[in-house]
Amino acid sequence: MASARTQALAQPSFFREKILLGMTVPAYLKSLLTPFNAVAAAILAVGVPILVYRFAAGLGATTNLSQAYPWGLWIGFDMMTGIVLAAGGFTIGATVQLLGLKDYHVIERPAILTAFLGYVMAIIGLLADLGRPWNIVMALVSYGSASALFEVAWCVMCYSSVLLLEFTVPFFEWLGWRRVHAVLKKALLALTVLSVMFSTMHQSALGSLFLLAPTKLHPLWYTPFIFIFFFISAILAGISMVIVESSLSHKLFAHRLEGQPHVDMDKLLIGLGKAGALVSFAYFFLKLQGIIDGHAWGYLLTGYGALFLVEILGFVLLPSLLFAYGARNQRVKLVRVAGVLTVLGIVFNRLNVSIFAFNWQNPVRYVPSWMEIVVSLTLVTIGVLCFRWVCNRMPILWEDPAFSHED
Amino acid sequence: MTHDFLSIYDAKIMEYLLAVAYLLLFVPMWRYVQGAARGAEVVAGATVALPAAVAEAPPLGWFQVPDGVALHPGHAWARAEPDGLVTVGLDDFAAKLVDPEALKLPATGDQVRQSRPAFAVGDQVLTVPMLSPVDGTVVAVNAEAREHPERLHDPYGAGWLFKVRPPGLEGLKQLLSPAAARDYLEKAAESLSRQLNPALGRVLQDGGVPIRGIARAVAGDEWAALARRHFLTDRSEP
Repeated sequence: MASARTQALAQPSFFREKILLGMTVPAYLKSLLTPFNAVAAAILAVGVPILVYRFAAGLGATTNLSQAYPWGLWIGFDMMTGIVLAAGGFTIGATVQLLGLKDYHVIERPAILTAFLGYVMAIIGLLADLGRPWNIVMALVSYGSASALFEVAWCVMCYSSVLLLEFTVPFFEWLGWRRVHAVLKKALLALTVLSVMFSTMHQSALGSLFLLAPTKLHPLWYTPFIFIFFFISAILAGISMVIVESSLSHKLFAHRLEGQPHVDMDKLLIGLGKAGALVSFAYFFLKLQGIIDGHAWGYLLTGYGALFLVEILGFVLLPSLLFAYGARNQRVKLVRVAGVLTVLGIVFNRLNVSIFAFNWQNPVRYVPSWMEIVVSLTLVTIGVLCFRWVCNRMPILWEDPAFSHED
Repeated sequence: MTHDFLSIYDAKIMEYLLAVAYLLLFVPMWRYVQGAARGAEVVAGATVALPAAVAEAPPLGWFQVPDGVALHPGHAWARAEPDGLVTVGLDDFAAKLVDPEALKLPATGDQVRQSRPAFAVGDQVLTVPMLSPVDGTVVAVNAEAREHPERLHDPYGAGWLFKVRPPGLEGLKQLLSPAAARDYLEKAAESLSRQLNPALGRVLQDGGVPIRGIARAVAGDEWAALARRHFLTDRSEP
């Protein structure tokens, strides 16, 4: 009896080891008392009830959306921005699995997790924004194949499923389920091919939505090639998000990396900086072509022109030069700064296209309600908390050595 | 407010000019980004002026392997102890190639697997992973060596790295015996000497005092890549 008890003490439970990080319940709860968690809890305490209230009382009670402005912050930020910032999943996936640059394998899992959480949060934001969210299932049975929204809906569903399957590789590694892990790991190449396909269609389809409203979007942003701009900026966003996310996670989770094989993260960031420099350089010139092609030069000296110039000079050309200088001179800090600027620039671009420069001739302007802002903030907070929870437990920033030999 | 829109011809001229300007600027941009700042890298394959220390490089056969240890091809050794544990360290070749200033060792209780990365050596900036010669659970770590990497000047003695409790001693049978290990290190030295050619081809025959930090002396900033090739960790894990 005594020996059985000793054995039980010597082998802590699955729950304690895997969920509570080896701590007792009181010790774990005590470890949660941090300033960051207090802020997060305050946001959730306000945001989650508002999200519930939106589904109970409707869009009119919670948002400033109207017939003139049916798309607001939840589309512009949660959906458009959330999806483009999730592009790191397919960008790095393709780099590692398809282009064979295996050095970047160590940042593939965090990129996929970021993408998966980004998509889940975007879907929640989308459901909140839909007037009749229950009708979303009609996309499964109603084949409106001429609709850009149909393409968006299917690509979101398919790519979210692919991301879930990609995420299951570290998930089953965490659970120790060898057989299913081995099967999924073998499928990773095929999943990456699918992820590139769905992302290409989906990122560009979000741009295609604006082809339906050529007169509503300001000429500086509208171009018949807007879907190409969305796709190229998604690649740029993917590269930059990975730079920002991996810099943060390797700093914040440094204690989880002790004892793991050393990774030369600076070298990887320099490599990503080179890619970022060239892609943003090309994107800058494409944006200029867009305004020539749209005969929109005349608008550059207006207020919208100033907004546009800030976007392409401050958040595309400047980071491109910073990426280039940082990568050439091995200045990792500059690469990180350029990554942050580019991420902000992509957010700015999506907000410009879907909110600021949309309905630009409409005398009534849309300003999001405080509840819309809180819900968006809540979704970001939930995403960050989920990322932290998973990274603290599952093999995201490293591979379990017991599994890594199973190719 | 009115705007002066361009005519179709003006617009097309500007589009073509912009496209040409882009292509003309992209080439120097590409070259700038792909190139390295002056003095930052050593061009692979180029004949470089070697530091004086390398000129003292010794002849082949100066990498030692004592009896009683078994060598992994990734330049880590293992020695079965009477108490059933296996002591692990890096060999003379690795110690002289890198001359570690920093060590990253597994923690007590960690599992290590044969031929999988288990520890890393390098300097304060960069470390290179090395493979474990055996399977097992780490039961002791040489904190003294970690704090004072100069202990690795005696790689088979005070410079041992950690001890593992192996599931069995079968893993040791897959390692190189001391005699085979000496041949292996001689081949590694030959390989190194080929990399040093032509600048060092002659001096290697001349004898001399063993130097430390050969990789840095030979490859400069690329020392880690050179070390990875010899430690068999130059390919990332799948």
